[in-house]
Amino acid sequence: MRGHTRAVAAVAGVGVAAVLLAACGGGGSTSGSKSNASSEISIGACTVQSPLLPGDTNEVCGGTVLNNTTAKLVRYNPDTSQPENDIAQSITTKDNQHFDVKIKPTYKFSDGTSVKASNFVDAWNWAADCKNGQANSYFYTPIKGYADLQTDGGACKTAPKTDKMSGLKVISDTEFTITTTEKVSNLPVRLGYVAFAPLPDSFFKSAANQKAQEKIPVGAGPFKVVSNNTTDIVLQKNPYYAGPYKPHVDKVDFRVYKDPSAAFNDVLANNLDFTGTMDPIPNDQLINNQWQKELAGRWGQKGSSVFGYITFSPIDKQLTGASGLKLREAISMSINRPLIIKQVFANSYSPASGWVSPVVEGYKAGACGENCTYNPAKAKQLFKESNGYKGTLTLTYNADGGHKAWCEAVASEVSQNLGIKVVAKPLPDFKTLLDSLDKKEISGMFRNGWVMDYPSIEDYLAPIYGTGADSNYAGYSNKAFDKQLQVAASADTGAPADAAYQKAEQILGKDFPTAPLWFEKTNYAWSNNVTDIKVDAFQQLDLSSIQLKKS
Amino acid sequence: MTEAATEQSIAPVGDVPSASAGRSEWSAAWVELRRKPLFWVSAVLIVIFVAMAVAPQLFTHTDPRYANLADAFKKPSTHGPLFGMDRQGRSVYARTIYGARASLSVGLLATVATTILGMIMGLLAGFFGGWVDAILQRIGEIFFTIPLLLGGILFLYKFPTSVDAPLIVQVLKIVFVLALLGWPNIARLMRGAVLQVKPSDYVQAAKALGAKPGRIIFSHILPNALAPVIVVATINLGVYIAAEATLSFLGIGLQDPAISWGSDISDASGLGEITAAPHMLLFPSLFLSLTVLAFILLGDAVRDAFDPKLR
Repeated sequence: MRGHTRAVAAVAGVGVAAVLLAACGGGGSTSGSKSNASSEISIGACTVQSPLLPGDTNEVCGGTVLNNTTAKLVRYNPDTSQPENDIAQSITTKDNQHFDVKIKPTYKFSDGTSVKASNFVDAWNWAADCKNGQANSYFYTPIKGYADLQTDGGACKTAPKTDKMSGLKVISDTEFTITTTEKVSNLPVRLGYVAFAPLPDSFFKSAANQKAQEKIPVGAGPFKVVSNNTTDIVLQKNPYYAGPYKPHVDKVDFRVYKDPSAAFNDVLANNLDFTGTMDPIPNDQLINNQWQKELAGRWGQKGSSVFGYITFSPIDKQLTGASGLKLREAISMSINRPLIIKQVFANSYSPASGWVSPVVEGYKAGACGENCTYNPAKAKQLFKESNGYKGTLTLTYNADGGHKAWCEAVASEVSQNLGIKVVAKPLPDFKTLLDSLDKKEISGMFRNGWVMDYPSIEDYLAPIYGTGADSNYAGYSNKAFDKQLQVAASADTGAPADAAYQKAEQILGKDFPTAPLWFEKTNYAWSNNVTDIKVDAFQQLDLSSIQLKKS
Repeated sequence: MTEAATEQSIAPVGDVPSASAGRSEWSAAWVELRRKPLFWVSAVLIVIFVAMAVAPQLFTHTDPRYANLADAFKKPSTHGPLFGMDRQGRSVYARTIYGARASLSVGLLATVATTILGMIMGLLAGFFGGWVDAILQRIGEIFFTIPLLLGGILFLYKFPTSVDAPLIVQVLKIVFVLALLGWPNIARLMRGAVLQVKPSDYVQAAKALGAKPGRIIFSHILPNALAPVIVVATINLGVYIAAEATLSFLGIGLQDPAISWGSDISDASGLGEITAAPHMLLFPSLFLSLTVLAFILLGDAVRDAFDPKLR
């Protein structure tokens, strides 16, 4: 769910914008002014939805800000997405269940206090405690004692008896240990996710401080927030930052745009320095790659971890289970992925042949097999062998995320190839789609997207298809699959774990709970004022490398 | 436009020293109309559009929903897709022809609904006067203050349409909103006309002879007060077609799989689409404008025919 929320917010977050049409972006002054005193750049941003706390921000708008104001134990390399130690000196384990974390003593929060082991432990305990209602608490699930902090099956009507997870122990100011309930071989990889950032001592001192830090967070990252309002969030260099990723710019202005087209036009006119991660390049600009021609050398593309797929609703009995398998396969086979990618996305996506993105280690092409290959004849034949579909098959999407064109294309293809009535059905916004999914109101099919939380093959399988998992919108449940996930989690990292996860992915290939569509790319653009633009697979602009052009 | 229509003077009925004396007002108007080229132009256009709405198969054999994505954005040509292809590879020509049905049915039904509702309200208010008049007038003012589009957006957002709903249900929903917010316009006009006719000698005579209110209304007042309402209703028809297009353009009017000019225009109006495939925007817009124009011209011609001052 969380990852999903972010995921689709990334893709769909485009969103709300289109409906409101309020072109409030654009601000007055030209950004990236070339004054030597302080270098400032501006970036197209979107409206932050939740408090700027590591435990509560699970969407891309706030996540991008937090990503730059926090430092975590590990950091994902912007080029390779591989985890590298950041605050951590070392993370060691002998059995994949007991982890010993040693941290570098030099890191400081933006209020000048040092980052100690207790800052991690206190932050995670606080965010995992159900009475604090933090959206990311799901990420602490593997830690031993997490269950003690949840009451009433997650409803949290009564306060938990304890406010600490027994799996976290502070050894000294620079060392703490993590114990998990089961073996979790990829735990160190997960620790770079924003939910695992530390919080300063001041946060725990008073409720007033907590309230203040929801707006102006205090972290150990290269930047700190200096102002935060509905039209922009201004970040400044954190003077106490002790890590190796020192930025070249002094100030970053995250300007909130309600309409991605406005952000795009501002970059075109050099009034904004960067757009594409939080405000995507508008869909209509992709036609014939117009945006690339207009920007002439000021655009880039980067393979992102975003994976687009269609989920078959668990409440639609005609589609689900073994009896609906042939129908599901027939639907998938009647979608011409390369053609849609060519005509709608200007070839910037690549068709999926499995459920795991190529950006993570352990990716193996072909788990989906011929089901993901366009074959109208075979589709028709499978459809005849299936029980058919009575009524109108719907493909539900959120209207605020630029999904209309491809959803209508998919609907036409399925309809024309199988001879059934298929309609692409919009819901006004992303929030409505998620709410309806949670309430299990959507029949037929619906679109989904997933951006990874951490670079691991596990993040593409367990949270989406594990029995009862948070983002299991397909309602998929297979004991063999769950078993295989456990086997994989306790296997050694690297090839053994990857092979075990690939086996799990093959089970998905047989049961076909969702139809993989494509792996997306981030399209982005920048102004004439800046250089050294780097975007990572998490759809994040690397603020440590971007700099002003020397004039 | 709606406002302007309300303000225009009410055609007097009883004491017209008409040039065409000896004929009823209606036949006089018809003679007048026949002489106007504007009337014929608009009438021909309307006949064509109505034919499109009733029998689109006469104009095209292409399925407007059939998509061949490989042909997306194809340019118009005389030996290929006449109006080009849209972003999904559907024929713009077929979609433009089929779009007439939604637009015209919304326009016609909304006009009929507002006219009937407005007429009843106006008649009652004007004829009975007193507290009936006061109450009906106030109710009308309440609806009058809600802007048509704002009210429409609110209503359609609150009650979304299910995909399985046939076109007529979608159309009726929009018609309902337009009628709900549009009737006070007609009611005011009707009330004014009734008040003007009521003191006439023939009405008084009927009353003196002991005619019941029903008889007075239907055989004396209504026929003589109807003309201005018909004029304004014709003009409003164009306004309602434009309103439907606006609602569909905003994505809340008629929805897929319904085909409407408004939603096709909406799909075609991204900056990138205008550059890559202007024909997607041009043809539905052109047909929409022509339809609205035709009805407004007709309304103009009818008004001129009924207004003796302009004869």
